[in-house]
Amino acid sequence: MSTAQKSDTHSIAEGGRRGRVITRDRILAILPIAILLVVLVILGISTPNFMTTRNIVNVLEQSSALALLAVGMTAVLVGGGIDLSLPANLALAGVVGALFMRGGGNPFVAALIMIASGTLVGAVNGYSVAYFRMIPFVVTLAVQFIAVGAATWLTESVSIANLPMSFVNTVQFRLSRMPVHVLMVAFLTLVFYVLFRYSFFGRWLYAVGINARAARISGVPAQRVIFGTYAFAGMTAGLAAVITVGRLMSASALMAGENAVLDVISSAVVGGVSIYGGVGNPLGAALGALLITLISNSMNMLRVSYYLTLVLKGVFIIVFIWLNSLRRK
Amino acid sequence: MSAVGLRMVNIQKSFPGIQALKGVDLEAYAGEALAVIGANGAGKSTLMNVLGGVLRPDSGEIYIHDEPAEIHSPLDAARYGIAFVHQEMAMLPTLTIAENMFISTFPTQAGLIDYRTTNEQSAQALARLGCDFPPGTRVSHLSPGDRQIVEIARGLLIHPKIIIFDEPTSSLTRREKARLFDVIAGLKTEGVTVIYITHFLDEVFSVCERAYVLRNGETVGGGMIKDLTYQGIVQMMIGAKEVTSYFGQKADQAGELALKVEGLTRSGVLQDIGFELHKGEVLGLWGLLGSGRTELLRAIIGLDPIDNGKIMVRDHGNLKPIQPKDAMNWIGMLTENRRDEGLLLPMSVKSNISLANLRGLVTNFWPLVNAGLETTLAEKFVNRLAIKTSGLNQPVATLSGGNQQKVVVGRWLERNPTIFFMDEPMRGLDVGAKAEIRTIITELAQSGTAVLVVSSEIEEIMSVSNRYLVMHRGRITGELPGTADKDELVAAAAGNR
Repeated sequence: MSTAQKSDTHSIAEGGRRGRVITRDRILAILPIAILLVVLVILGISTPNFMTTRNIVNVLEQSSALALLAVGMTAVLVGGGIDLSLPANLALAGVVGALFMRGGGNPFVAALIMIASGTLVGAVNGYSVAYFRMIPFVVTLAVQFIAVGAATWLTESVSIANLPMSFVNTVQFRLSRMPVHVLMVAFLTLVFYVLFRYSFFGRWLYAVGINARAARISGVPAQRVIFGTYAFAGMTAGLAAVITVGRLMSASALMAGENAVLDVISSAVVGGVSIYGGVGNPLGAALGALLITLISNSMNMLRVSYYLTLVLKGVFIIVFIWLNSLRRK
Repeated sequence: MSAVGLRMVNIQKSFPGIQALKGVDLEAYAGEALAVIGANGAGKSTLMNVLGGVLRPDSGEIYIHDEPAEIHSPLDAARYGIAFVHQEMAMLPTLTIAENMFISTFPTQAGLIDYRTTNEQSAQALARLGCDFPPGTRVSHLSPGDRQIVEIARGLLIHPKIIIFDEPTSSLTRREKARLFDVIAGLKTEGVTVIYITHFLDEVFSVCERAYVLRNGETVGGGMIKDLTYQGIVQMMIGAKEVTSYFGQKADQAGELALKVEGLTRSGVLQDIGFELHKGEVLGLWGLLGSGRTELLRAIIGLDPIDNGKIMVRDHGNLKPIQPKDAMNWIGMLTENRRDEGLLLPMSVKSNISLANLRGLVTNFWPLVNAGLETTLAEKFVNRLAIKTSGLNQPVATLSGGNQQKVVVGRWLERNPTIFFMDEPMRGLDVGAKAEIRTIITELAQSGTAVLVVSSEIEEIMSVSNRYLVMHRGRITGELPGTADKDELVAAAAGNR
């Protein structure tokens, strides 16, 4: 009331609305974290060997590629789009790089090729969405088929193994017990977090996600921003391909994984990224990826059926999207 | 004026931290038009939302024709014969007019929609408003003014005992307005209670018999319109504040050429537009809704494509041709719809001010926005434009309309535009905020900016312009000096020369 009285009469009614939004928002902002903590505690108690160093490192290792994809997805979601092709993009990039190495190519160049391949596919998505105004859902779904199809066709459905040990060893290199790629992903996540939040193009991204028309009229190059989000997501898919191929010591179209998209989207949503655009950050998404991996990991250790795990994960996403929509009101 | 059609007693409604209605009493008679007047945030929308079943009051009673009414939802309201014609139209653009009008109450036959009745009834309701568009027309094909007419027709469908008009004329042409006023007169003779909410005091004087003035959630005055004066109502609306003359100081005369447009054409929308805009002048772009005013502004700054035309701006002393996509380097733009096209509502005042200038807040090679510079920038404009805010981090959604508009102005001022386009800069603002925006426009011109103002309100545009361009059906049909009077402007806009 006091602030309302200080300001002029115009803002009285609005001031009231603001007060309500904040309290409601606070509860809804805390709720997901509370749910996560509860889930973690339940898993920690019920799962044997859950808190062992070995299991923790294992979970981190499993989640690093997913976390990268979730960070990429965050850019796209914040900009108001969605990219369903990320895991397929990863698979294609991995296959292309692996084939290059099998042909005698330099492993370092192969890694660059994977990143370039991922970025290129992302750029195709981005160009279609930003400049041809195609619907993201449909474009990226189609690109998903193209990428998986291409990867399967290139490999003739066979896994490309026997990759140079220098590549595998580099990716799997550990500092004491911690794989370096985990540290790298953690570092990149923090860098992207800062860039999203404080850089001018980060601001542009949120501006476009919140109100694309207003952003455009304010001189924000909205099309370039949208294009950039998909290219960026593609780049994270390329990077994730490097990690995945190095960890598996092979590449195949199967890396796309039937339900991998579900994991990427759930990671982002659980991490507080809004599917309506304009809200969320890479750090949350990466933590979301960690949680999703933890759930899969614990279910696995508890010998819960894979299919039941899928059901639970699906329910989980719906709950979080519901919370998301509550916050929007 | 006999029976009490509506009585609202001691209506209270509070939102956390604020009491929006502090016990308002309201009485409306059958067959009268009652104006509910107030500045933004005075509580008039809250009060009407209570009556329309959109909001539930904390306490208070409502009587309709002396029967106590329990209104918990808009459907309840409709059952009591209350129709609410909303200002912001919620229409389904891919459906037809008839489908939109009947969306919640389709007449059915054997479980299927009875399209014959639907179409007949909607055609009748539209005919009452003097409109003859076929009820099968898709709403997406209608202009905003026509949509408003459909919205009003929808309100008439339930044969209301009480009808609330919330700013019904803001997107209507003069002819449509006249028709609406005839309909209101007709409703009154049928004994319907008309409640009329508007910012446009002129309309209150021509449509209503009685008025309530609200301020800060309380009734502060009112009475029979014939006993009230324009000045008196304004005084009540804004309280103790001095009422500055509605027609303030205009900017001085024009300087050198700032913008020259030649042969600008966008097929079907703009035809061979040419005009000049000078430094230090306020050029009023005047025409009816749909004459192409907004479209012209959008085409010049590259928001809509053009087929032909030349745009030249003064740059370092020389007139230089530019592409529309680069126009924003010289031209600032205030759009007609600040909520949809101007602001990032959930974001802070600070982020909204810095939005057009983020690249300027970056120090070499380091892409991060410098927080200190950003705060300084925001503070500068909050002070300079007297933006009333509880802090730079206040979400802009919670500011009043006038202050939101100032935020958008401030955003552009930092870029030092030599030219400023303002599309309906005073729309939806209360009298006090309008005066402030007017002062800002005048000051901008006096400091050498070339300002182009579009407004549908003749008083608004007359209060700032020192020259007029008249648009009619996508063409510039004339130019009038700043001394032109109301009749000349009205005649010119209608296409008479």
